[in-house]
Amino acid sequence: MISLNYRDSRPIYEQIKDELRKLIVTGALAAGEKLPSVRVLATRLSINPNTIQRAYNDLETEGYIYSVPGKGSFAGERGNADAARRELLKDKARQLLRELRVLGVTPAELEALLKEGETT
Amino acid sequence: MIEIQNAVKKFDGFAALDGITLTVPTGAVYGLVGPNGAGKSTLLRCLNGVYRTDEGAVNIQGEPVWENPALKARIGSIPDDWHYFLQASTQDMMKLYRGIYPTFSMERYKKLEDAFPIDPRKAIRHLSKGMQKQAAFWLTMSCMPDYLLLDEPVDGLDPVMRRQVWSLVLDDVAERGTTVLVSSHNLRELEDVCDHVGILDHGKVLLERSLEQLQDNMVKLQVVFPEEVTEVPSGIPALHASRLGRIHTLILRMNATEAEALLAQYNPVLVDAVPLTLEEIFIYELGGANYAVKDIVL
Repeated sequence: MISLNYRDSRPIYEQIKDELRKLIVTGALAAGEKLPSVRVLATRLSINPNTIQRAYNDLETEGYIYSVPGKGSFAGERGNADAARRELLKDKARQLLRELRVLGVTPAELEALLKEGETT
Repeated sequence: MIEIQNAVKKFDGFAALDGITLTVPTGAVYGLVGPNGAGKSTLLRCLNGVYRTDEGAVNIQGEPVWENPALKARIGSIPDDWHYFLQASTQDMMKLYRGIYPTFSMERYKKLEDAFPIDPRKAIRHLSKGMQKQAAFWLTMSCMPDYLLLDEPVDGLDPVMRRQVWSLVLDDVAERGTTVLVSSHNLRELEDVCDHVGILDHGKVLLERSLEQLQDNMVKLQVVFPEEVTEVPSGIPALHASRLGRIHTLILRMNATEAEALLAQYNPVLVDAVPLTLEEIFIYELGGANYAVKDIVL
């Protein structure tokens, strides 16, 4: 379910976080669904278990997942993500918007894009 | 926990280890890196009890390793030149390992038979170099060691087998909390499997950090300064600076937030923090110790 890109410049734990976030946000991992255990993921990806634990801890702080002691980690409700993450993504959106404006995309087109996003 | 304090090992007056102090926490995967001749293999031989240090202490779980069979029975070791008896097959060697290691698990030995495509009845000396290494892993992992000392472990293994071997080792780390000390030159690979890294040079520890700290301690930035600034301002303590067109690439010894705060006063047009790979950290750290690629024309 998670594939790592060894040529990517992002650190491994960032990649794991991004992949899991994507799965949760798109609903591929439904709220309350159990995530693979640290051991399973470490063995399957040949990655240090502490690295995976660190990614899980970060995601828990961000509100994407929650853990039940003795049971494992579970996907959280969508929309639970914390404020810091939201700001970060808004920043990214701003960068993208700036580039789109430079490329000559009109505000009307951007608005249409925004509507598109709301319906999905 | 593995603790080495001020270890010195001399060969004919040459100090291969020159006062090494290093700590490997329990359950950690510690990557030992360094240029050729830095003392990595010597250190591992001191740890598995083959060499006796001239000075200093080499302790595992608070006990000295030297002439300590009870402790050594819990240490699995795969040296660079793994030794086997000339006529022995993997099966014969298994009997030897089973005799030496009280924790040897026949159950695990049988399970691992599927992981390694080796005929256990075939003489080891007739196996290829990579397959001999696989046999070494097979036997060592069957001993259920609490401490694993690996010297260039995946040298000579094909890509599939490398993954297989790391997956076995990391499963053991996650499940049993095995402590692993591994030396390697493949930094890309160490980055995935290690959580601690020590850089050795000339028999000394140059740097010892958790990978987390290491990545948080150095940053690579791509910066575009405003038109009027043509040089990197002298107020920026760059370890390394290069330039391509208007884009400056800077390596700074600080974390990304500090670096961005520092650069903000120069009103840059663009600041982009790029994470450093272990390979880059290795090169820049050792670059300060007069170790760099020399331009030699042949």
